[in-house]
Amino acid sequence: MTLIETQNLWKTYTMGAEKVHALSGVTLKIEKGEYVAIMGPSGSGKSTLMNLIGCLDTATQGEYILNGRAVSKMNDDELANIRNREIGFVFQTFNLLARATALHNVELPLIYNGSGSQDRVAKAQQALSRVELADRMLHKPSELSGGQRQRVAVARALVNDPSILLADEPTGNLDSKTSVEIMKLFDELHRQGNTIIVVTHERDIANHAHRVISILDGKIATDVIVPREQRNGVN
Amino acid sequence: MIAVSLLKIAIQALWANKLRTGLTLLGVIIGVTSVMTIISALEGMMGAVEAQLDRLGPSTFIATTMGGVITSDDQWHEMLKRKPIDIDYADDIEDGCELCEKVCPRSFNSASVKYGGEKLRDVFVMGSTYNLVDIVDFEVDHGRFHSREDDIYRRQVVFIGETVRETLFSGVDALGKSIRLDGKKYTVVGVAKKMGSMFGQDRDKYVVIPLSASLKQFGKPRRNSNFVIKARSVEELDEAMDQARIVLRSLRHVPYNKPDDFVLLTADAVLDQLNAVARIFRMGLVGISSISLVVGGIVVMDIMMVSVSERTREIGIRKSVGARQKHILLQFLFEALLTTLTGGLIGIVLGYIAAESLVSMIDMEIEPSMFGMIAGLSISTGIGVIFGIYPAMKAARLDPIKALSYE
Ligand SMILES: Nc1ncnc2c1ncn2[C@@H]1O[C@H](COP(=O)(O)OP(=O)(O)O)[C@@H](O)[C@H]1O
Ligand SMILES: [Mg+2]
Repeated sequence: MTLIETQNLWKTYTMGAEKVHALSGVTLKIEKGEYVAIMGPSGSGKSTLMNLIGCLDTATQGEYILNGRAVSKMNDDELANIRNREIGFVFQTFNLLARATALHNVELPLIYNGSGSQDRVAKAQQALSRVELADRMLHKPSELSGGQRQRVAVARALVNDPSILLADEPTGNLDSKTSVEIMKLFDELHRQGNTIIVVTHERDIANHAHRVISILDGKIATDVIVPREQRNGVN
Repeated sequence: MIAVSLLKIAIQALWANKLRTGLTLLGVIIGVTSVMTIISALEGMMGAVEAQLDRLGPSTFIATTMGGVITSDDQWHEMLKRKPIDIDYADDIEDGCELCEKVCPRSFNSASVKYGGEKLRDVFVMGSTYNLVDIVDFEVDHGRFHSREDDIYRRQVVFIGETVRETLFSGVDALGKSIRLDGKKYTVVGVAKKMGSMFGQDRDKYVVIPLSASLKQFGKPRRNSNFVIKARSVEELDEAMDQARIVLRSLRHVPYNKPDDFVLLTADAVLDQLNAVARIFRMGLVGISSISLVVGGIVVMDIMMVSVSERTREIGIRKSVGARQKHILLQFLFEALLTTLTGGLIGIVLGYIAAESLVSMIDMEIEPSMFGMIAGLSISTGIGVIFGIYPAMKAARLDPIKALSYE
């Protein structure tokens, strides 16, 4: 089943008289249950593509169909709703609320779909257990290590059972040992049936995925399946 | 459900930023307090005047040469030149005004009062017929008001105000004692209930004697006299006043084409005029003090703008997990409203306390007014919405990506 389908996606930024094409016609298809890495050098348009897929932004031109629905025609509220129910985002800089506990951070998506507080806490606790942080629920981000913070972010991304997990350079702020830990977590989540897209500029990280899409200057350069023997993950 | 969560988030944010919240509160408190002080004080004064006028019943009016609201110097001079009200007209009014049930002529003088070694100067001496007590709501503390017989036989009896009793008879029963009014002996028959002071004037420093006794001692009043007249019923008040007017005009020889050279005052009419004046007064003062409200509002807006820009990233995070514009809007609006409502409540209380100490300087008391509280709450809600909406909208409309990458 096709989860993501883009048709000739363009994203153009106008800076004064100059036009910057962050994406120049991206067409791709991602099936449910895939584990995809988007690779490319800095400034190639990876984050831009990720933000479009994650409905944080809309394309200047082109079509984007998510789960059979045309996202390009959606208004702000509908996009927020998609972000809430269909997308789980993990960022390089974690993007946790500094003042809130891990539990409250993970609860956040549930607040905006009107879940009751008991339901919220139960689901957030469950998500934190999945990333093995059940014993750190009442810690604030400042009281957690980088890897733990990123796991809180993963728990937040998972809490609403989204269709896709999107991670933009999730290991960019982590040391290599912790990076491996986080990638193992993604491997495991994929094994459990989640669709995962990871943006990275590192080959090692990309090789955890089963398919690697390379981007150069806002265009897809290559799109290859990673042979089983080259994969870094356990599966 | 979501709104409740957003309210909680707002409370937590306010609590987390105590200094900022405190400063915003201060701005609101200053604004609301100053407006509330004025509203409460004015409200209280009007209330006191109303209560005072209430003593004159709803079917009663006063015929006098001076009164009403004077709006010009000319009017004032014209009034001063008027012939006094002749108290001998009482019978004529009673005859000519069939709807007038009771007519009470009064004369006013001033005298010193003495008992034993104690002396009180400048006591207000009212001479009236015995029926005054049936017309005006005179509260007798003990003893009695003078009677019809006292009037007829020109008895030297006196009904005294609380200040007079307190000064001359501290610790002694006043009833039956003889006091001297400018040297003339009067027997105390009754003591009035305390009325307290108003506008710095002691309203208990008076005595009442029979009109006949007053005429004998002070002669016919030249200026300070009037009639208190009670109509048969409230419904017939207007007609009774017309009848009394006709009688007075003919007795005072007012040409048919000239206006009355006297006034007929009812409590309602006086109140209406007072209210009109108070309204203008109130609008002016509230207008001036509203400037401090605007200042309070600007503080709210300013601090919220800072808060929104400091929390840009937080807003980005919330949007990235699915918060809609209205959720962000509500969160920030709740913060503004919580602050202004709390500030408003404190301002209402402080304003009341300030108003109370203000009016106590002119010997009055005020009570918390419903109008004042509703006004205070609506004002503070208004500030919250008016000055909170712009920063809240700014927050709601932030672009999620820009907000997330904000340093
Ligand atoms: N808001 C923006 N305004 C102008 N140019 C932008 C903006 N965001 C990204 N770009 C440009 O678009 C290109 C792609 O950026 P990005 O998607 O962040 O690349 P990557 O994530 O691969 O490093 C870059 O040249 C970047 O400068
Ligand atoms: Mg990037």
